Amino acid sequence: MIRIKGLHKFYRTRHGLVEALRGIDLEVEEREFFVLLGASGCGKTTTLRCVAGLEKPDAGEIEISGKVVSSPGKGLNIPTEKRDIGMVFQSYAIWPHMSVFQNVAFPLIKGRKQVPKHLVSEKVSRALSLVKLDGLEERPATDLSGGQQQRVAMARAVVTEPKILLMDEPLSNLDARLREEMRLELKKITRSVGVTTLYVTHDQAEALSLGDRVCVMHEGEIVQIGTPQDVYARPANLFAAQFVGEMNFIRGKVTGPGQVDSPLGRLRCPVPPACQTGSEVTLAIRPEHLILLHHPSQGSEALEGKIASKNYLGDTSLFEVEVNGTALSVKLPGDSDFAVGQQIVVVVAPDRWRVYL
Amino acid sequence: MAAQGRTMGVLDRLLRNGPDGSTIFAGGLLIFLAVIVGAPAAMVALMSLRTGFPGEGGPLTLINFIRVYTDLSTYNVLLNTLLFATGTVVVALIFTVPLVWLLMRTDLPFKRTIYVLLTLGILIPVFLRTIAWILLLSPRIGLVNQWASQIFGLDHPLVSLYNLPGMAFIQGVSFVPGAFFMLAAAYRTMDPALEEAAYTAGVSKLRTFFWINIPITLPAIAAVMVYLFMTAIAVFEVPAIIGLPARILVLSSLIYTSTNPPTGLPEYGVAGAYGGVMLLAGLVLAYFYVRLVRQGKKYTVITGRGYRPREIALGRWKWPAMAFVMLYLSMEVFIPFLVLLWTSLLPYLQLPSAAALSSISLKNYRTIPDYTGALPFINTAILMVAVPFCAMLLSVLVSWVVIRSQVSFRGILDTVAFLPHAMPSILLAVGLGYLGLAYRNIFPFYGTIVIIIIAHTINWIAYGTRTTNSVMIQVHRELEEAGKVAGVSTPRVFLRIVLPLVAAGVFNSGIWISMLSYREVTMALTLYSRKNTVISTVVWQFWGSGWVPEVSALGVILVIFAVIVVGALRIGFSRVGEVGSSV
Ligand SMILES: Nc1ncnc2c1ncn2[C@@H]1O[C@H](COP(=O)(O)OP(=O)(O)OP(=O)(O)O)[C@@H](O)[C@H]1O
Ligand SMILES: [Mg+2]
Repeated sequence: MIRIKGLHKFYRTRHGLVEALRGIDLEVEEREFFVLLGASGCGKTTTLRCVAGLEKPDAGEIEISGKVVSSPGKGLNIPTEKRDIGMVFQSYAIWPHMSVFQNVAFPLIKGRKQVPKHLVSEKVSRALSLVKLDGLEERPATDLSGGQQQRVAMARAVVTEPKILLMDEPLSNLDARLREEMRLELKKITRSVGVTTLYVTHDQAEALSLGDRVCVMHEGEIVQIGTPQDVYARPANLFAAQFVGEMNFIRGKVTGPGQVDSPLGRLRCPVPPACQTGSEVTLAIRPEHLILLHHPSQGSEALEGKIASKNYLGDTSLFEVEVNGTALSVKLPGDSDFAVGQQIVVVVAPDRWRVYL
Repeated sequence: MAAQGRTMGVLDRLLRNGPDGSTIFAGGLLIFLAVIVGAPAAMVALMSLRTGFPGEGGPLTLINFIRVYTDLSTYNVLLNTLLFATGTVVVALIFTVPLVWLLMRTDLPFKRTIYVLLTLGILIPVFLRTIAWILLLSPRIGLVNQWASQIFGLDHPLVSLYNLPGMAFIQGVSFVPGAFFMLAAAYRTMDPALEEAAYTAGVSKLRTFFWINIPITLPAIAAVMVYLFMTAIAVFEVPAIIGLPARILVLSSLIYTSTNPPTGLPEYGVAGAYGGVMLLAGLVLAYFYVRLVRQGKKYTVITGRGYRPREIALGRWKWPAMAFVMLYLSMEVFIPFLVLLWTSLLPYLQLPSAAALSSISLKNYRTIPDYTGALPFINTAILMVAVPFCAMLLSVLVSWVVIRSQVSFRGILDTVAFLPHAMPSILLAVGLGYLGLAYRNIFPFYGTIVIIIIAHTINWIAYGTRTTNSVMIQVHRELEEAGKVAGVSTPRVFLRIVLPLVAAGVFNSGIWISMLSYREVTMALTLYSRKNTVISTVVWQFWGSGWVPEVSALGVILVIFAVIVVGALRIGFSRVGEVGSSV
């Protein structure tokens, strides 16, 4: 379990202070896979490094498995080597002067949890077979491919069976195909080891597929914490909506309860109670939640428009539809037979709209 | 179709004409470089096979080798050389390794100032530092011994510098800044996550230092060791200023006295026979150096992540660490400078006292021009402009071929440009001197400033090409290709696109070479005549004549000028300290 309370971190640079973290509060439960997601520079790595003890926070408190490890207020900062963690670095940080075996065995021989000699090779083989590297024990670390280095880093991080596993964009240096393969494996490995994982990425697809819960960060603050389904279906604010997945955004004005005027016309949608009549809002809807029809059908709310462009991607087709001078992006199955220039009707289920101030 | 045909035509022309032009150019450059780098070495070989004066001709003979290597005293000299070089390396590393760690990984205060002082340390000529230490520790006149005999009434000197440990100490201290910048550069390319990975695996800081940091930097440390050893075998200033009066001969001082004997005739043949061993040792060590550097590169991973690791807090060790740094800087910069400054203000060397204070004056500074005239200053100025110009021009051209062109023999060109690293500067000068004496009609430069310019240029071309190589690599090849595709000719692409992009880096190392040329004495002295004196040879001669206060005054001026240049560079370029690598 990891508990972070009111975490603040400043960096002193030549141009003055940079506030990298502006009060982070979060709790990762036992055996949970928790993902920090956000744009470059939002403070994900900083958060992770504070948990690892590689950076010293300026305020707040960090608890690992019920034990406070960092608390600047109390003048407490347990050094990294005394924290019960494992970590996978973005650059893998495989020690180049050692073989694969030596890399994985090093934490067991020189580290915090030293084990009797005869157990070392057994534990190392178990860790290596977990990451499917059996038989590569004697390979020098400098002769490994990127994917293999990644696996060695994994094995080395879990060999001591730490309570907490920290990972900073471990897949970002792999090519696209290998990345998807490793993504699945990563999840399997952490499951089977049963370790609490804090995982950093800026790739939203990775976050959604890996995380038990996802935490969206923006400029040193937490925007939203929730299950992947939650974060995707109900982004907490405009930033989260922009960052996670694709969305159409339309400016509008609230004209009554559950009713917004927009360039598309008058729309029915779930207006949150905080938005009073007359306030300016932004409407958001995902491209896959828009339905195209050739002819208006009865009963549903329909918008008339024209297909402006089509982008065929195999499994899906992306259409740009023009409705009253506003462009909407629509995602349909790949074999949809709409053609550019065609007049069509866009149908929306009202509860698919998201309304943000 | 037509457009495609035209494109093919352009490609075709580029393929057919482009390489031809560059190949001819690169070939010419290779021949030129091989001649200027090879000629001094060839002359050393030639003189070792001849007897009599340069240019007398005569049959080739092995008599010099037989004479030299059947003489037992030769082996004494070789042993001295080995001991001196080993001691030097040990002293240098004892200071360098902790300094690198303190400055690169801990929260030591005043880092920038320390960097500046280390850079300055390189620019203070070794012979000046040696002289200052003699003024302090000489058994007869040294201030420390004068003071000891005053206080304790000792009738024998307390300490003396005139022995092998003394020589190794001064030389080792002088090597530290160069070694520091070499090692710091290697340290900088090491991924800090390698250390952090050990911490997260629960390994303590001390164990991480021994099991991760040291093994990973070992190839780099070994490379620096070999480099220092190679240089120490060939250095001349300390062996001449301390070794010669103490009759402790090493190879370099022996070669010098053979060609410039105080009495009798110069024996170039003997110098050549000694020079042969030195050259061979240089080549072998250079080979190991290159191999170690290559191995070290395998260990470094350049990561995209631009962060600096958190600095290790020294806590209560801060002031002991600072004391260590101050101890070193005192030996390197402060003490020598203060001794020179004190001596330069007095009529003769004496301990501080009321009488001494009352006789302080600037007289020694005022009388310098009476002794020297304007010539040494003019010659030095010529060196400081001509040497960097020639060296950098050649370096840029060589690097452009090595890094940019597809010429098949570009690797050979790079190796030839690197060879002067292995060539001891004293041999380079002796070889060039021999060339000038023996072949006056084709190489009419003996005794002129031109021969010193040539010697310096050859000597620093290895350093120059290393820096231009790294600058050139950073200029993306496609910028140049875009120019070519736009139909601009190769020389024009070079002038208009490549040169402006590399200008800042080239200028920076040009200034550095200028300063190194300014403080250089070994080659200038070996090639000395009345017409080509420079400031450093004047200091040397003052010292030889025993004009201690005048030496000190001139030395102070030399140092202050270096301080001004370093200060200006610090303001102009924030990264000048790094230029000092591989000096
Ligand atoms: N060592 C440092 N010194 C100064 N500023 C830093 C340092 N490390 C990070 N920062 C700044 O702190 C902020 C947060 O950085 P952090 O590395 O945590 O971002 P990140 O979310 O991990 O980004 P990325 O996805 O690019 O890795 C950034 O503005 C960054 O510039
Ligand atoms: Mg990061």
